[in-house]
Amino acid sequence: MWRQVLVALCLSLWICSPDLTLAEDPYLNRAYQLMSETPLIDGHNDLPWQLRMQFNNQLNKVNLDTLETTHTNIPKIKEGRLGAQFWAAYVPCETQYKDAVRQTLEQIDVVHRMCEKYPDTFKFVTTSQGIMDAFKENKTASLIGVEGGHSIDSSLGTLRTMYQLGVRYLTLTHSCNTPWADNWRVDDGSDPIQSGGLSPFGKQLIVEMNRLGMLIDLAHVPVSVMNQTLTMSVAPVIFSHSSAYAVCRHSRNVPDEILLKVKEKKGIVMVNFYNDYVTCSQKANISDVADHFDHIKKVGGAEIIGFGGDYDGVPRTPEGLEDVSKVPNLVAELLRRGWTDEEVKAALGNNLLRVMSEVERVRTQSTNNPGLCERVKRCGKDNSDHTG
Amino acid sequence: MLSGWPVNMWLWILLTFIMPLLTSAYSEKERAQELMDRFPLIDGHNDLPLKIRVYYNNRLSQIDLQKISKAATDIYRLRAGSVQTQMFAAYVPCGAQEKDAVMLTLEQIDLVRRMCNKAQDLELVTTYDDLTNSMMKQKIACLISIEGGHSIDSSLAVLRMFYELGVRSMSLTHNCNTPWAETSTDLYGVFQRENNSLTPFGKSVVEEMNRLGMIVDLSHSSWETASAALKHSRAPVIFSHSSSHSICDNKRNVPDWLLRELEQKNGLIMVNLYSKFISCGKDANISDVADHFDHIKKIIGAKSIGIGGDFDGADSFPQGLQDVSKYPALIQELLKRNWSEQDLADVLRRNFLRVFKEVENVRDNSKHLIPSEDQIPSEKVKNLCRLDRQNPILQRSISGAKFILPNLYLMSSLLLFSSIFMNK
Repeated sequence: MWRQVLVALCLSLWICSPDLTLAEDPYLNRAYQLMSETPLIDGHNDLPWQLRMQFNNQLNKVNLDTLETTHTNIPKIKEGRLGAQFWAAYVPCETQYKDAVRQTLEQIDVVHRMCEKYPDTFKFVTTSQGIMDAFKENKTASLIGVEGGHSIDSSLGTLRTMYQLGVRYLTLTHSCNTPWADNWRVDDGSDPIQSGGLSPFGKQLIVEMNRLGMLIDLAHVPVSVMNQTLTMSVAPVIFSHSSAYAVCRHSRNVPDEILLKVKEKKGIVMVNFYNDYVTCSQKANISDVADHFDHIKKVGGAEIIGFGGDYDGVPRTPEGLEDVSKVPNLVAELLRRGWTDEEVKAALGNNLLRVMSEVERVRTQSTNNPGLCERVKRCGKDNSDHTG
Repeated sequence: MLSGWPVNMWLWILLTFIMPLLTSAYSEKERAQELMDRFPLIDGHNDLPLKIRVYYNNRLSQIDLQKISKAATDIYRLRAGSVQTQMFAAYVPCGAQEKDAVMLTLEQIDLVRRMCNKAQDLELVTTYDDLTNSMMKQKIACLISIEGGHSIDSSLAVLRMFYELGVRSMSLTHNCNTPWAETSTDLYGVFQRENNSLTPFGKSVVEEMNRLGMIVDLSHSSWETASAALKHSRAPVIFSHSSSHSICDNKRNVPDWLLRELEQKNGLIMVNLYSKFISCGKDANISDVADHFDHIKKIIGAKSIGIGGDFDGADSFPQGLQDVSKYPALIQELLKRNWSEQDLADVLRRNFLRVFKEVENVRDNSKHLIPSEDQIPSEKVKNLCRLDRQNPILQRSISGAKFILPNLYLMSSLLLFSSIFMNK
């Protein structure tokens, strides 16, 4: 009996020793190999917001090499093989009709300064070619996405200047209606429908974003806006951090009929890891996240899938994906489930690169004709802050 | 006796006395034109963007930039006036301070960028080299300036982003105080302070402008603010559109003692042509304008002088100087007053180029400095249109929490009331 106990003890120790297990995990090794060939391009990370909340954007008070209070720091980025990141320039909805524009500029500025402060780790880029150049230099290509139409204060001029400052996607809404677009909360009734999706100005904005070469991000928008945008947009669109509605019926996720339209337009859905959107509960694990990848691949094909972790923007991350260093484990899980190398590389980065190149091509082909409707018409909102 | 003189004699008298008068006047005009061909003007301040906002809501598609009848500026007249570089002001009114000044400023910057991209004759420049090259390419160079610190909403990050967008000059105030600097013409009565100079944050603004390579413009600032900024700035500064207080005692103009401080720091005063600042009255003429130039030259020399017309930013200009095509008439007057061609070449462009180059040198020598993280104390800028960013309670709204909590409250209230009811 004692011998059996001893054997059982040794076996259980061996199984429980993670380093031993993982080092011998052929799938993880394969994951690392693939991630060295194709950059992992993540669609959404809120580290800039944490820098604002925790440090008031004072980078001299932060050391990203040792920072422990966030999902993201430099050692974790390296361990997680993060090839490229869209950093979110997010400001809360409470700033709408107040100082949203100023705060957004401050968030754009903090990303620029972060890249300047850590030039060995980050390289600020604005093009698909730039992502590949940074990858070859073994740096994390850093891009900017503005999270929420309230950040442009209904002004195409502001949109254009943000593009000039390096912003490459705009999430049309965050969790509040703008004067020209409804947000996802109209789908569960928490906010009233105001624009029926996109207002006429909202549609002008889509045209202008196509002309500029700014990626249109549909994370946080309701189904009406998804449909209208997918119909109107000449360039492919993205969901920078949304998951599959069929797997977890949360209004932040993407329904199957939309996945089919994304496939038709050759866009991308970058899966969000937030527990509440993955399992519709407060607990989740890697397998649950992989279920979303599998489902989207089944419905829309491997060409429309990507990674949009939403790290540092959420309070609960899955077991096994606690922070940005763990993402290779998810890649290993996909391989374990029979994803081919090509499919994994598509999800890692090739899909996003394709989308971005196509958006750039649409820009090049557009005539130089800035939006005819330069400012939104007043639509009954309290605009006492506009001196207009 | 005279009537007996032959016609030939009369003709000779005519030729001898009158022709020289005619030819000398003609040659001065020709000299002015020839001088401006070789040294075309760099003008320090123009408000065409404001006119385009007011009359066309920034819709460039409605305008022919060659001929704009509602403005004093268009490409045709800039060419006629030998203007080679124009600093266009991305101006927004003081009424926007503490409201949407930042957004409106972005729109004006965007307008200038679009305008200078649209017209073949125009070219946006942001460096000394680009500026000098634009002359060789026979383009009219556009520079972008900001007119008033209220545009940055007390944020150095916003200042940096404006620089990224091509802004190369900022006047610290317009006709309103900011929380950190004071105006010469306080029409708004905001941010009143006892000492009329530059607060610690104001000094941070000047320092950051030096580090970035943005020209500090003191037009519209109070004299004390201007003097403090002059002392604090490592780079030469300008008055982009101000004239001489000795000639016309309007507070927008510069007194002699301040001119001397300016000259000591290799700065530049670009004379404003607005009648009210020239003659202190509704009317003025070219001679009145030339008096300003003469006086400033007497006090600090021609190397500190430039021209900042303020066209389209004011409502009355001297007779003979109504729009941007008329600069040669001013140069002609100065030639008549025996200004040397070297001095005029300096006034027309070489002084500005010197200042711009030096501002770039200071930037290049500032590579060891990191972007400033100075922040204005929050109590100086508390207002209804500003979300309190120091508030640590502020949480990012996550859907679940916002949705579940009210429902939980409702449920527990229902349970409580139903239990009371049932117990009865």
